[in-house]
Amino acid sequence: MLGHSIAEGVPVRERIGYMPEHDCLIPDMTGVGLVTYMGRVSGLDANTAISRAHDVLQFVGVEEERYRKIAEYSTGMKQKIKLAQAMVHDPQLYIFDEPTTGLDPRGRTEMLDLVRVIASSPGRNVVLSSHLLPDVETICKYIVILDGGHQIAAGELSQLLTGSADRLRIDVRGDREAFARRLKEAGLESEATASGVHVARKPGVEAAIFETAKALGAEVRYMGREIRSLEEFFVELVQRNEAVDA
Amino acid sequence: MSISLPTYTRREMPLLGRRHRLRAIIVTGLRREFKRPAAIVVTALGVGLTLVSSIVIVLFAGVFLPGQALDLSFFFVPASNGAILFFVTLMASVVGSALIADDLNSMALTLYLSRPITHADYLIAKAATLAPLISMIAVLPLVLTPFVAALLGLFSWTIALEAMGLAVLLGFLFTAFYTSVTLLLSSLTRRKSYAAAGIFAITFGLSIPAGILSGSLGNSALLYISPWDDYLAVARAAFGASGSQLEWLWALAILLAATIVASFVTYLRMKAVEVVSG
Repeated sequence: MLGHSIAEGVPVRERIGYMPEHDCLIPDMTGVGLVTYMGRVSGLDANTAISRAHDVLQFVGVEEERYRKIAEYSTGMKQKIKLAQAMVHDPQLYIFDEPTTGLDPRGRTEMLDLVRVIASSPGRNVVLSSHLLPDVETICKYIVILDGGHQIAAGELSQLLTGSADRLRIDVRGDREAFARRLKEAGLESEATASGVHVARKPGVEAAIFETAKALGAEVRYMGREIRSLEEFFVELVQRNEAVDA
Repeated sequence: MSISLPTYTRREMPLLGRRHRLRAIIVTGLRREFKRPAAIVVTALGVGLTLVSSIVIVLFAGVFLPGQALDLSFFFVPASNGAILFFVTLMASVVGSALIADDLNSMALTLYLSRPITHADYLIAKAATLAPLISMIAVLPLVLTPFVAALLGLFSWTIALEAMGLAVLLGFLFTAFYTSVTLLLSSLTRRKSYAAAGIFAITFGLSIPAGILSGSLGNSALLYISPWDDYLAVARAAFGASGSQLEWLWALAILLAATIVASFVTYLRMKAVEVVSG
């Protein structure tokens, strides 16, 4: 990792900024005191640590409250302090564990904006761990999906979410299973999933789809190249895995 | 909220080494303790009362200790001052019990161990935070008493300097024992009150029953389980005072072994703590 073996704990951690999910701040310290302290424990000298602490606190938006004790902070401010302490020594790699946990929609947007700015900065890389898949979809370029501790997918997000060009996704209002069955009877390769009905492209497929919809009284709300949300992709993967296991 | 990265450039200054990182934890730890009224009161009372009572004993030795020879063995008397035991126990309870337990409770241990330090560094820093505070009670009065006695002309400087050297060694032995045992107890729980109770239990829960049982059963070997009696046996031997019921070498071995075992177990305990959760 970053030119070092993962077994070399200290040199690796010099290059990592970790933002834990859970509350881990020292309640009787001030915001600026804690961030400075963490900078010094990372190896910054006292002057640099305090200067960078002020910089990163300004960046995360904890400015006037920086001299208050952390025990008095709201959840959103604590999340920002956790982000600031991860940034203070200016690491190459950031590991953010559920950074939007406990935040209201506005706080979540602010936090994601900050993470996005860090991720887009040259020389900085972000690993974001989250169960909130829309957050991941907003921030990440590459994803690794784990289920039950096993990797079930990995790759560039845009490629994973864009399915095969040879397939169509149809969002049907009505009985998906029946729709897919009818298409199969019409000689089309089709499959009903949580994210819609997927059909292999072939000449005349569009006409067959609309005929099927008319016959079943179903409403076609979307028809186009397979583009899934991460949530849809995840659900598909998990269902496929469960089917394989069964 | 401003959305712009800090303007400093990456790695404009190399990170300082391990010694600097440990010093940061120690200095910050001591600063935090000296902001707490409880720690200030214990330190002030501990140092003050121990020192004053030791000096009073020196000044009025003829009244309090008639027949006591005014040689090196005299300094066993201030070294065996019960105030040392009480205030060291109090200091360990008030300050030491929280050192690791609070980090476990607030999960700040995650923050420490996500930094470029090892478990051993963390423990060394915590020990180095507690040890100076305990040694202020266990060492300082014992060193100052012969110094004052020599200044007042009650003892020769040769005896006083020898007593000061022995006081440093004895004080460090006592400090090391209490530091390692306190950190062990603090690492075992998230509640500092439990650790504090454990320190009192080890001090008085062993010393008092050991004294009672050894007297009633006539078996002085039972006193070995009392850290205070072990310390007194070593102090008697060091200052050449008579009357010890214990073999000082065994007592020293017990104190050192307990210190080493407690430190090792604390290290293992910290290595086993799961710091990332959720």
